[in-house]
Amino acid sequence: MQCVIRFPAAWVDISKFERAMANSCGPHDPATYEVTFQFPVGCKVMVDAAIRLLSLANQLAATTRRVCLDFEEGEDGTMGYLNRMGFFDHLATEIEVTPDWPAYSTAELHRGGNRALVEIARINKDARDEDLPIRLTDALMESCWQRPDAASLKGAAFTIFAELIDNTFSHSQTQVDGYAALQVYSGGNRLSVAVSDSGLGIMETLRPSLRTESPRLHNLSDMDLLVEIFRQGISRHGADRGCGLKGCAAKAIKFNANLDVRLPGQRVLLTPAQGSYQPNTAHCYDGLPLLWGTHIAFTFGLNT
Amino acid sequence: MIRMNEGVRVIALRDSMRRGEGWGREQGREVHQRLLRSVEESPGVLIFMVSMKGVSRLDISFASETVVELARRFRGTKGFCLIDLTDPDLIENLDAAAEKKGQPMLVWHGRSADLIGPEPSEGAREAFGFAMARPKTRASEFAAHRGISIANASMKFKQLWEQGFLLRRESTADTGGVEYVYQRIG
Repeated sequence: MQCVIRFPAAWVDISKFERAMANSCGPHDPATYEVTFQFPVGCKVMVDAAIRLLSLANQLAATTRRVCLDFEEGEDGTMGYLNRMGFFDHLATEIEVTPDWPAYSTAELHRGGNRALVEIARINKDARDEDLPIRLTDALMESCWQRPDAASLKGAAFTIFAELIDNTFSHSQTQVDGYAALQVYSGGNRLSVAVSDSGLGIMETLRPSLRTESPRLHNLSDMDLLVEIFRQGISRHGADRGCGLKGCAAKAIKFNANLDVRLPGQRVLLTPAQGSYQPNTAHCYDGLPLLWGTHIAFTFGLNT
Repeated sequence: MIRMNEGVRVIALRDSMRRGEGWGREQGREVHQRLLRSVEESPGVLIFMVSMKGVSRLDISFASETVVELARRFRGTKGFCLIDLTDPDLIENLDAAAEKKGQPMLVWHGRSADLIGPEPSEGAREAFGFAMARPKTRASEFAAHRGISIANASMKFKQLWEQGFLLRRESTADTGGVEYVYQRIG
């Protein structure tokens, strides 16, 4: 079966990425042997959606499916933009690109040069890049250093990157790399920080230990459990662990950030209310097409 | 038995780190081993003041695996406190790690200290404040100060010691029995 995922001719954020995926016959469906992603003229993929797309495309290639990315506008359109953020530096080489793979990486060309407003970095637990959270934070500060709350934002960004990347090391058990990305949108009033891995998924690693250690939490729905992970900090390694994601949430809430978490079959969208993420303001989408791993994105609305 | 005049040692966290930024559990565990070696090199030292000088960033996982884990590990026998720490973000991350591990820690600024991590229970708060105001104290002193029974004061100090807020040593009371002397950390 051939699966076609067609994106709209508009900005593609995570929600639009999910909608396009839900409208397809399921890229990970066992009957699917070929997957084509279509990017019409006018389609612009945002960075948090881009790293989910990158993870998905590489997962499909790793499962021997034929994968094609069809950019109808060629390099003048979203393909050029994806190239600029380093998308093709990390895309599995067996994936077909129409009209053609870019001749060179414009991300590499610009790296270290002008202000890095957008960047995708690889996370591989066997080749740990100890500089990664520092580099991503520095890239962010390139465009935010003039803000009165720059020091606080820097601290928050470092902690969020470090904890999310460290978290992927404990859940990622596949050969498919994870990715971290950031983007400061023009005007500097919106910031996206996203980390994706193609591992087991946070629930799959957490649930088995909760059955014996914390039956109360075990009985929660996935959505409620996920909210609790960010609210009180829960870890399969015992009660004194699990502070990382809770800490990320605490930092992000100070900047009124929205939090989007994609699990293999679900997506939870959390918005801050009264200084924390609450179950009653969470939106949950269940029964989504399979996407391996855990994909976390924070969107900060920065006041200028 | 702990002797009161045994020294205080300053250890610099940065000396055990490869760079000024620390993050992640694995890196934290490596640094913990190096810190542990410094502690074991000084068997007579009761209180370690961990200097944060030169540490520009640390995340919560790293803070949890290094200084907070060290304090938890030696709770009741050796004390660990923090110095040269003013960055609010570092303090926040150390506080989050200490809170999650249930390990209180003092951050000293000259002669005053802030407490991070869990707070003493309502009933023991005043006893903790009393102990913090002097280098060492006994339950009998607090009992006299507050007009409560020595047994009640002892119970509060014992709880504070068990939870890692204070250190204690055995001493001989005027009556000839065993009495504990409680000591603030730092």
